[in-house]
Amino acid sequence: MTSQTDAIRIANLVKRYGQTLAVDDLSLAVPQGSMFGFLGPNGSGKSTTIGCLTGLLDPTAGSVEILGSRFTAESADLKRRMGVMPETLGLFDPLYAHEFLAFVARMYGLEESDVRRRVAGLLAALELTDARKTLAEFSTGMRKRVAFAASVIHSPDVLFLDEPFESIDPAGVSMMKQWLRRFTDRGRTVFITSHVLETVERLCDRVAIVTRPGKLVWQGDITVLAADGAIHHDGRDFESLEALFLHLTGEKYAELNWL
Amino acid sequence: MNWKRIGDLVRLRYKLMWARTRSRGGKIALFAIGCLLFVLVASVLGAGGVGAGILAIRSGRAERMAQAVLSSLFVNAVFGSVLMGFGLNAVFSDTELRRFPLRQRERFVARHFLGMADPFWLFILALEAGLVVGLYVYGTYSFWYGAAAVLLLYVCGYLLARVVGMWIERLMNTRLGSMIVLGLVMALSMAPGMAASILKKHSAPTEGILAVLRYTPPVAAAAAMTHHGPEAFLGLGTIATWAVGLAAALAALERRPMARRQSARSAFAWSGPLDRVSALFGPRMAPLVGHWLRFYLRNNRFRMLYPFSLPLAAFLTYNIGQLLHVAGGLFIAAVGAFPIVAFMGTSRIAVNQYGYVGGAFRRFFLFPTDPAASLRAGSYAAVLLGAAMIPPAAILWAVFAPRPLDPRMVLMPVVNAVTVLFWFHGAGLWTSLYGPRRGDYDKSLGNDLSLLGNTVFIGTMLACVLLPLALGTSVSPDNWWLTLPPAALAVAFYVASLRGASAVFPARREKLLAVLEGKA
Repeated sequence: MTSQTDAIRIANLVKRYGQTLAVDDLSLAVPQGSMFGFLGPNGSGKSTTIGCLTGLLDPTAGSVEILGSRFTAESADLKRRMGVMPETLGLFDPLYAHEFLAFVARMYGLEESDVRRRVAGLLAALELTDARKTLAEFSTGMRKRVAFAASVIHSPDVLFLDEPFESIDPAGVSMMKQWLRRFTDRGRTVFITSHVLETVERLCDRVAIVTRPGKLVWQGDITVLAADGAIHHDGRDFESLEALFLHLTGEKYAELNWL
Repeated sequence: MNWKRIGDLVRLRYKLMWARTRSRGGKIALFAIGCLLFVLVASVLGAGGVGAGILAIRSGRAERMAQAVLSSLFVNAVFGSVLMGFGLNAVFSDTELRRFPLRQRERFVARHFLGMADPFWLFILALEAGLVVGLYVYGTYSFWYGAAAVLLLYVCGYLLARVVGMWIERLMNTRLGSMIVLGLVMALSMAPGMAASILKKHSAPTEGILAVLRYTPPVAAAAAMTHHGPEAFLGLGTIATWAVGLAAALAALERRPMARRQSARSAFAWSGPLDRVSALFGPRMAPLVGHWLRFYLRNNRFRMLYPFSLPLAAFLTYNIGQLLHVAGGLFIAAVGAFPIVAFMGTSRIAVNQYGYVGGAFRRFFLFPTDPAASLRAGSYAAVLLGAAMIPPAAILWAVFAPRPLDPRMVLMPVVNAVTVLFWFHGAGLWTSLYGPRRGDYDKSLGNDLSLLGNTVFIGTMLACVLLPLALGTSVSPDNWWLTLPPAALAVAFYVASLRGASAVFPARREKLLAVLEGKA
């Protein structure tokens, strides 16, 4: 069943690597125009799920719909409407930033005049104008900015961001947040994974939390937290996303007396 | 020196090797066969060394024979290591070892101790040790002086290869580096021929040269092996001095940070010659072909090997031609060696296309195109670059070929180059998919190809060198048409490989991803 208002719809997604189960029967829906946070502890299958959602990995079972159409690795038309910032950034180190962004823009079929205009605009906005440095010479934060620019250069309708804010300075994060808010205001959808729960709490309106191995344990609206409210779950009130996350994932500290 | 900790690291290196083998299902048998093969080859090489020792004793010129054998081994080992990358792979980097409680000197010893344990250097040691045994068993020479000499020589060979390799790495990062390296290689290629002709004309310098050569590691090792008393000690002292000097040079080079080549550009270049060339492949493929052309042209190894392929082909043509001892030997050798220009430069990336892109491999699957388009585009770029080297090589051959020049004598090497060009790059598509290996794009030296990649690369090189030797005088301009069917077959193989590899590419992507991101 496809809802017209869901930008992403995952049904019974399973992903195995040999005998290892990475994603276990995951089903969720991401409404169009939402800023959706996809959270979970390390090794809970977040990046694997993004891999299945973006065509990098083939699901073992289940289906993925994006913008109302079934998505597979061969869905070129859908990919044209998707932007992805992978966890590994996916940068070609020997290239200069403008060459890389122009390459990505051309791969998405942008007109040459648009390629130049958008590349120049993004580089200026993200302060990446040093034309003498290849991407290999950029700092981690700068590389992240380039990867972000590459994910938005073709104005996608759905944006997947895997840990977008780590290593970026506060000014850069603030600017990216502004862009993302404008992005969703225009009816586009953002799907974010992040370990920075405070940022997710402030930025996202909906959240899904998974535990190992890729098992969905909670999804819902978190806008109530921004209004100083609380999320009611398991008969308890959680006033922060962190508290809910720790409760759901069962994360706790081990007692090491010698430490 | 914390030898216990260094010992722990050596054990860790072999534990890692075993863990990697264990994690690849079904590869344990292959690993055991590899170990047995290693022992077998080392034994054969050792026996060869013993044979050389026997020959040296029987000839009555033991020292001169030992000098010749050790010098030849030493020079070939260092050249083979620097040019082909054998035995130069670092197991641990200094940065990796910094996390352990080891001092700088201990890290240096641990890294290079592990480097010397590479099978390539152990094979060389086996050959040299065989010579010592031969001289000891069949002559009256000391085993212990000989053993000490080859051990020191083994260390010297490794250290010299490291120093030269590291110096070239640094040179390649300068603006004129590739030109300087090319000049040096050409000079070294021509030096033996020139030296031989000078020595033929003038006998006087020979003694002087030999007196100087006494202070080189292999000649000093030969002296230590074939003498007793002070002369043996002088030989051992000479090699030990070399070893200490080379270790100091290596340590000094390692302490100097590698300078990054700075681009002269200060403004964005939107469309250059590469974009114009790649535009020939149509609007859908052009960005990918342009990307791969840049990927090749900015690679230090490519920049070194691509121009180097010309003097190498000339060197091999000349030397194989001399070996043939027949009229038209140079032409026969050229038919085989000339095609090297078509694949030498692109070889490393062409057989391991995604091995140097790292996590960027994911990017190819995000684009709204057939993911295998990136595989084909990379291959087109390599074929384009390989083909571009054929016309200048043909012109050079036409200029230097023996006279009278029959046009068919130019046509045959060119057609063979086309054959090898398409064969090699067709095979490279398969090795890229079935024999990927994660490598370092920035490294100019070192052999980081998989077994499959090495088999295709070394096999093609050997075929180029050995085929003319095997065919001999049956290679004649009169039979020029015989080169055409293999060329047609190679083109057909390339086209079939493009289609076949594209078809299996999606199914291989997860395996490739695991290898490239270090998870397999």
